[in-house]
Amino acid sequence: MNFLTRIRKFPFWSWVWFIFGALYFLVPLYATLRHSLRMERDVIGFKAYVRAFEDSNFWETFLLSNMLAVATIVASVILIVPTAYWIRLRVPEARRITEFITLLPFVIPAIILVFGLIRIYSSPIGIPFTNIDLLQPLTTSKLGTYALITAGYMVLAMPYMYRSVDTGMRTVDIRTLTEAAQSLGAGWFTIVTQVILPNIRSALLSGALLTFAIVVGEVTLASFLGVDAFGPYLFLIGQHRAYEPAALSFVTFLLTWAALGVIQLVTGEQGQGAGAH
Amino acid sequence: MAYLTLSNISKQFANSFAVEDFNLDIEKGEFVSFLGPSGCGKTTTLRMVAGFEIPTAGKITINDVDVTNNAPNQRNVGMIFQAYALFPNMTVAQNIGFGLRIRKEAESAVKERVQEMISLINLEKHADKYPYQLSGGQQQRVALARALANRPQVLLLDEPLSALDAKIRVSLRAEIRAIQKRLGITAIFVTHDQEEALSISDRIVVMYEGKVEQVGTPFEIYNFPKTQFVANFVGSLNTAEAEVIDPSKGLLSLGGMQLDSAEKMDDLRKGDKVHIAIRPERFSFASEQKKANVVDCIIENITFLGSVVRIQVMIGKTKFNMDTFNNPFLELPHIGEKTQVTCSREAVLILGSV
Repeated sequence: MNFLTRIRKFPFWSWVWFIFGALYFLVPLYATLRHSLRMERDVIGFKAYVRAFEDSNFWETFLLSNMLAVATIVASVILIVPTAYWIRLRVPEARRITEFITLLPFVIPAIILVFGLIRIYSSPIGIPFTNIDLLQPLTTSKLGTYALITAGYMVLAMPYMYRSVDTGMRTVDIRTLTEAAQSLGAGWFTIVTQVILPNIRSALLSGALLTFAIVVGEVTLASFLGVDAFGPYLFLIGQHRAYEPAALSFVTFLLTWAALGVIQLVTGEQGQGAGAH
Repeated sequence: MAYLTLSNISKQFANSFAVEDFNLDIEKGEFVSFLGPSGCGKTTTLRMVAGFEIPTAGKITINDVDVTNNAPNQRNVGMIFQAYALFPNMTVAQNIGFGLRIRKEAESAVKERVQEMISLINLEKHADKYPYQLSGGQQQRVALARALANRPQVLLLDEPLSALDAKIRVSLRAEIRAIQKRLGITAIFVTHDQEEALSISDRIVVMYEGKVEQVGTPFEIYNFPKTQFVANFVGSLNTAEAEVIDPSKGLLSLGGMQLDSAEKMDDLRKGDKVHIAIRPERFSFASEQKKANVVDCIIENITFLGSVVRIQVMIGKTKFNMDTFNNPFLELPHIGEKTQVTCSREAVLILGSV
């Protein structure tokens, strides 16, 4: 092969676009890292990281957001997996409506959602024309507020969670697997927990990590519901400090990368299993 | 009372019947095949036995127990699917033991039964493998073992060999039949492949457009088809229109030539037009001594099919196929040659009036 042929075969434009895309992501990241390491004049060091981690508010808000994220993921799985499963199995004609509903959080801003939640759940909900209260105001107690914000997060994460689960179910023949399990004596709970869930675990993990990322960084719901979560904390220190937000942003990015690595690992393992039938 | 009975079963989807007034009694240990083209209702009927579809009308009983409205997981019916349907997240052993663990059998009993089933399908070395590590034939054997592990009352096989290549298909169907006979389990096998049905079954139910066309042994179905559909669907068949000359003697006229049939013609009269059918292998070239059922023909075409040579002949204005076994010394006529062919009077089947 002569030099000219090699030149012609080299995917020049592919590489140009690849490098351009890579720079688009890497330059701001590098700038953030560089900025976070220069808290002290003329010294490159981790002082911004140390200061950020020393702040007890960081740990408290970060822990709370993590707990809310876990609660959101668990509740979303409980709600969305059986729903998506049932729709695929029994009412496939409802898929379009469901997909439309799951896209609503993209159309309705979080601010509308949070005002709606506050409007409805800050006063008791009773049976019309009676004095009987079915539900006490949720915003008056911490637990109630956490339940409310978790529900709000579920709505925000729904497009990602539903789509991940639905895509996962598309890759396995859930109808035949369900029937095989039924013929072996399994009930619905067993089928969902032992047959369906393990076979969509990588899709579930993708949805869960996206949900986690949304919850940990979310500001609007937490601010208006008065929850001391990580999102509002990051927003607050971003307004008052110069270097710590950059350090925390970089750490968050590393955590996301680690999470993607986990997905890759699990997906790689399941990829082989998914082709099994 | 039969072991499995389907009484007046119908299944309606929207305005059309997938299965209509289906009746069948199956004895314990019997191997019955549902044979028919796509959309004839065979799989729907099987799914009603499995409990995946509830009949619009009728009753299904297994061992004298009415299971018509029972959920699939309350029927103790084993099912094998075309797509294998092994659980991808479980090993061969875990797949086979799944149903036993659902029943909460003791772990030692589960292990023992799993081992027994693995030995039955000769996959001892593959117990810890995942389905994706097995070939199609091996996966279907695991599916068979998984279905049998629960000791089901009835084994249902929904086109289990369709996804496999020809050689594996033949060997696996023999294996399925041998295991079914050894265990004495009642089985229903759905297929659109007549060769499969003829080779494996005790009885065949031929279905068409949701209705039963004929129920019989493979021998009866092939040799004595009751309807034109069965005659055309099972094996290859020559059909033609003939005229009744003398019903009491079984004499017919085919393109002006006389044919003798052994079939009863009690309800026919002289001059009636009927559909007749003759299998290609029932024809032979007429010898000089042969006088009955000898008809004149012209050789139209000769096709070599390996073990068989198919000769197309023109009798009157109708084309007929004649099959003869191949042998290296076979003397074949030439295309365009005038000759005579014959068949026994038992070979001339009457499928009904025109």
